[in-house]
Amino acid sequence: MTVQLSDETLMAYADGELDLVARAEIEAAMARDPEVARAVERHRAAAAQIRGAYDGVLAEPVPGRLAALVAQPIAAPIVDLAERREARQPAAVRTRLPAWAAMAASLAVGVFVGILSTREPVAPYAGVDGVLVARGELDAALDSQLASGAVDATGVRIGLSFKDRDGDYCRTFHLQQEVSVAGLACRSGEDWHLQVLAAEPAREGELRPAAAMPVAVLHAVDAVIDGEPLDAAAEAAARDRHWQNAPEVAE
Amino acid sequence: MTPTDDVRAQLAGLLPRLRRFARVITRNVADADDLVQVALEKALTRADQWRPGSRMDSWMFGIMKNAWIDEIRARRRRERVHAPEEAGATVGDRSAAARDIAMSVQAAMARLPEDQRMAIALVLVEGLSYKDAAELLGIPMGTLTSRLARGREALQAVLGRDGR
Repeated sequence: MTVQLSDETLMAYADGELDLVARAEIEAAMARDPEVARAVERHRAAAAQIRGAYDGVLAEPVPGRLAALVAQPIAAPIVDLAERREARQPAAVRTRLPAWAAMAASLAVGVFVGILSTREPVAPYAGVDGVLVARGELDAALDSQLASGAVDATGVRIGLSFKDRDGDYCRTFHLQQEVSVAGLACRSGEDWHLQVLAAEPAREGELRPAAAMPVAVLHAVDAVIDGEPLDAAAEAAARDRHWQNAPEVAE
Repeated sequence: MTPTDDVRAQLAGLLPRLRRFARVITRNVADADDLVQVALEKALTRADQWRPGSRMDSWMFGIMKNAWIDEIRARRRRERVHAPEEAGATVGDRSAAARDIAMSVQAAMARLPEDQRMAIALVLVEGLSYKDAAELLGIPMGTLTSRLARGREALQAVLGRDGR
């Protein structure tokens, strides 16, 4: 071996930084000298250990204050949608949505609204007084569609229907457009107020099982559901009452 | 408005990595998220300075690096002690052994000089090329390479277990 390879050169090789000629030179040296090969391996192992030491941060939930900063300005009221709704309710009745679920949801909303606002001429929902309200086809589907498990021509599929702890009807939905999202909407008067929107976990053409619901939506359901989801008969009956409470329940 | 929408969407996607980078350079969970917040605010007010098509992660890391250096200087002026380092913020379903290693690496990283830790954060944790990292730090490639080498050497000396 005539060329003395510096440790820095071996490190650069391990990091994939060398050009073709220099790489060939190192590989030849590694083949000749096991000590060189071991040195390269040490650099690689150290790099992997260092990277691995911080991987966990990527899996942590992003604090809401950071997600809120980059959410759309128009989405600012959306960010604390769940909180606003809670604020209107007696505190004792409500289980607080896990903070991270709200964060994940608000982050998804920010991204989604950002994409949607540039491409979609008619949004399936609109912000009204700090609340997202279903509009157009989404509103119509929430009003009339039963949970058949099929996507209708408008790309909306209804999942679960249930009553929340205030006695209002809520429905989960999937919205298949350029960007597929899932969400939870609850009845408020004649409107559907969106509680959570989240990006779909997978993007495949075929139908997913109804259970394939983003975690943020599932948590939102868990946080507000009262008892069990409606069965098919109860769902149809509720639709026929336009999702208003039946007299015997209201009394 | 439209570039800002684009910037916002991209920033939202980068948040986990910005938090990781901040964790490496500040060595402290609270400082790290404060740094991300400051950098996001700066980025949003000067979103027009980002060139579409260029790497937003590098742009953000540069803003964070400068903000952190400013913060360190301000703290020194105020003669305030650094917030105590706080390792072990790593979550996940790792084995105890893997967690131990991660914590020793974080502790060893925390003891590196600022410039070496910054170089390692950019290249080894965030995966920037030597060239991009050197440009971002405003230093020659050779300087970056030697900071990386010295930082790694110090880490390997501390960790030691894979040594010869």
